[in-house]
Amino acid sequence: MEDSLVVFTITLRRKCAIFLGICAVIAMPSTCMAKNNCPWINEATASGLLGGNAEGAFTDATPRQPADCTFTQQDSGVTRTLRITVEQSNDPRQQLSAVGSLCGPNSTPVRAIGNEAMMCSLEGHNSLHGTFMAGRARDQVFTITLRTTLKNDPFLTQDALQAKIHIAAEQVSGNLF
Amino acid sequence: MSRTSSTILFAAGVFLCGHMSNFALAQQDATTLTPPPAYTPLPKNTPPVEDTPEQREAIANWKAKAEQKTLIDRKAFNESVTPSYDFHYGKSNPFLPGNVTVQGEGFIQPGAFPTAEYCGTCHQEAYSQWRQALHSNSFRTPFYRTSVNLLIRDKTRGIAFARHCDSCHNPIGVLGAALTEDSKVDRANFDADGLTCTTCHSVIKLDSTNGNASVQMGVPSVMVDENGDRIPGQVSFAMILRHPERHSKAVMHDFLRTPEFCAACHKANLPATLNDYKFLRAFTAYDEWQQSKFSQRNPLTFYTADFTTCQGCHMKRAANTLPDYGAKNGTFASHRWLAGNTAVPFYYGFDEQLNKTIGFLRAGNFLNVDIFGIEISTGDEKPDTRKLIAPLGKVSYTLAPKDLVTAYVVIQNKNIGHSLIPEVRDLYEAWVEFTVKDADGKEIYHSGFIKPNGMLDSRAHSFTNRPVTDAGEFVDNHKVWTIHSVAYDNSVPAGRSVLVRYQFHMPDETNGAVIVTAKVNYRHLRQSYLNNIFGKDHPDYPIVEIASRSRVLKIGENQPEAADPSDNADWMRWNNLGIALLDQFQYAESIQAFHEVVKLRSDYADGYTNIGLTEILWEKYGSARTAIRKALFLEPDNARAHFYDGLLQRRLGNTAQEISDFRKVVEMFPQSRDARRELGITYYQQNDNPAAMKQFEALQKIDPDDLTAHYNLSIIYRRMGKLKEAADQQAMFVDKKTDPGAPTYSLDYLRTHPEISTESIPWHLHSDMVTTTAIGMKGDERDGR
Repeated sequence: MEDSLVVFTITLRRKCAIFLGICAVIAMPSTCMAKNNCPWINEATASGLLGGNAEGAFTDATPRQPADCTFTQQDSGVTRTLRITVEQSNDPRQQLSAVGSLCGPNSTPVRAIGNEAMMCSLEGHNSLHGTFMAGRARDQVFTITLRTTLKNDPFLTQDALQAKIHIAAEQVSGNLF
Repeated sequence: MSRTSSTILFAAGVFLCGHMSNFALAQQDATTLTPPPAYTPLPKNTPPVEDTPEQREAIANWKAKAEQKTLIDRKAFNESVTPSYDFHYGKSNPFLPGNVTVQGEGFIQPGAFPTAEYCGTCHQEAYSQWRQALHSNSFRTPFYRTSVNLLIRDKTRGIAFARHCDSCHNPIGVLGAALTEDSKVDRANFDADGLTCTTCHSVIKLDSTNGNASVQMGVPSVMVDENGDRIPGQVSFAMILRHPERHSKAVMHDFLRTPEFCAACHKANLPATLNDYKFLRAFTAYDEWQQSKFSQRNPLTFYTADFTTCQGCHMKRAANTLPDYGAKNGTFASHRWLAGNTAVPFYYGFDEQLNKTIGFLRAGNFLNVDIFGIEISTGDEKPDTRKLIAPLGKVSYTLAPKDLVTAYVVIQNKNIGHSLIPEVRDLYEAWVEFTVKDADGKEIYHSGFIKPNGMLDSRAHSFTNRPVTDAGEFVDNHKVWTIHSVAYDNSVPAGRSVLVRYQFHMPDETNGAVIVTAKVNYRHLRQSYLNNIFGKDHPDYPIVEIASRSRVLKIGENQPEAADPSDNADWMRWNNLGIALLDQFQYAESIQAFHEVVKLRSDYADGYTNIGLTEILWEKYGSARTAIRKALFLEPDNARAHFYDGLLQRRLGNTAQEISDFRKVVEMFPQSRDARRELGITYYQQNDNPAAMKQFEALQKIDPDDLTAHYNLSIIYRRMGKLKEAADQQAMFVDKKTDPGAPTYSLDYLRTHPEISTESIPWHLHSDMVTTTAIGMKGDERDGR
């Protein structure tokens, strides 16, 4: 019982961390981003996925935070963001389950991405429009969030979000193997 | 993870597949393609349509614009990527250690390659097959990425070195300057397509049969104009459908149908530019084919067959189920390239490709498994007094309880055009599973089982190899640049056979029987490599039984029995035993087996040649001459017999006859590397340098790595004053010849792996009496089998 409570608490914290992370990305001004050296996807590929020149920042992992790449593209008042987190885990399945719980019951398993992966739409998450994927390659757990501030964004339609997050996931998991 | 739980996981995975994101699966077939434009193929032999002057002008204008745009785009692309590109091997070698080159100057922008979806609009059958095939997935799979990532992350190497691998696995990435630190190239449009349509179909020239992508890539084009000049980039479907013959001319070069085209990537070496050591041959399915009966270029094969190319087996024509304007008479050359890889379709959930791959492995009559004979012993007599009872099924014999039985299992690589197993044999896994069960199904002996952790029985007879580092450690994870030697290689060349001996005890019962079964199984990939990729918690990857044979051995009297339809004829069974014993250096027994062949087929010239060649190897030249003379009496124009006669004439000093023999073979088989080599040596010994040079140069065209050619040409060229050419040949000889220190690395490995050491000895025995030693366990754990 205590174990499950601990897991629940961790899961809740994880959910909150991811959500806050997404919010932070929205709030982060692009001008403060440093030269990108993201190990899992290059800036040109991220730019292609976001529909224009994207700027990115890489933050290495700390004992408390996963490593993080965030790419942002601004276009006529619309902000599109691709965020990737990666962390190593002693219990990657449990960790994947924890980070993937953001999707709740809407999670869909995704085949042939890493060892295993799942994804869901972020529609309805506090007026966020986007897609989320979580997966793992061996003991490395990753999350990918692709989102836009514009509802019914013609560049990031629901189909496009699915297609583009899949491309991003192949890049990320491929580089993690 | 236990096998049970992993099987359950796999089953759950299959179940969940139906509930998975449809996106990934939708990308894997033709359902997302645009419907093909309307088109009615013209009747055969209809001449191409004539263009009006206006139409000609329109095409000329299109071409001019396309050329200008391609040029401008390429220039701009080069200006953007060149400054930050790592020219590790110098400005003039942007793609080394790969051998690929490109038409024109500099890199070529990835966008210049029309996409598979564009091609797939009219070629839906080809697209849907390709999407599930190895070629489209040549880069993105975890099986490849894990390996190449190790090279990229290696502290003394890096991504520039990965051009060696990606030249074949991701040529658009290599030619498009993506393989450099801080790449400026958007990879989204080519990584997932690997070898897309317009990579193979844009090749304009084969540079050599050196492998490592020895081709010249043209600026991609799907049309030529009326003069046959290529029009770069995409064109409208209407333009193609009006002139399908011009489309064909642009994308269907004759060499696409040749094995030499496949050689570009199905032949690989590890050059010093990669390993900082020396040239090492990695694999060469092409040369194995060229030496097989299917090429009809080698007179020395044990059997003959109709000419069959790589494409003949791996791109068989079949009725198309989807619209494809490239189809002829409703059939299309398969773009599935069915072969042995079950791992990729298993990972991606390509069930059709997986099932067809399994069907291909099982259906081809590729192997013959023959439980050929037994030796019976009470255990007290001397080994050399034991008698071989053979061929089983044709002879009577009696077995007693507790008898010690040694079964001779002969496995023939019967109809594979390359070795069993080919190419990356440090990762692929084929082995013999041998079981002896009593009448109740109780296991008496089992070799080649799978352990609970998924590893193969460390004492199994496997058709694999063990590359090792200079520290004598097994290169378990395909870090090919660390390979310095190969501790052993138990693969079976095309057309040859192997004898595997299994020893077991009959049950202690007064009557009853045992069922003896020998199977050849295949797994793609080795479990420890799968563990390297995924960690240990991955589902079980498929194990495919390629061929098998069972026989019942009764305690008491055993009578002859009817042959199985898949059994070889008796003479061939003996012949295969002879071949297998020859390869195990058991010359006396081999000759005995070949004598049984000619007893059954006294008109079979090759039977006598087999006796002769074995005696040559045994240095019994007198009796060898008798056998070869008999072969030539039966078939005066038998090139194989003439070749061995040439060797015998050399020993006798009959130079004229020696030359006559080898010349005859060369005339009949101009691409026989052995005949060219021997004739070259003969001329060289006669100081006929021009004639020797001609032979060695011809040999080098057949096999660019032949050491004899390098060595002799270096001397001949020097004598002829061609000093640069001589130096080049000398350098290649030094680079390619075996490092004399390399065997010590192998020995270091074998010393600590006794179970592998046993396998490395040509004559060895698998026995139910072997116990695992402490050091054996250590080796077992270390090499991950």
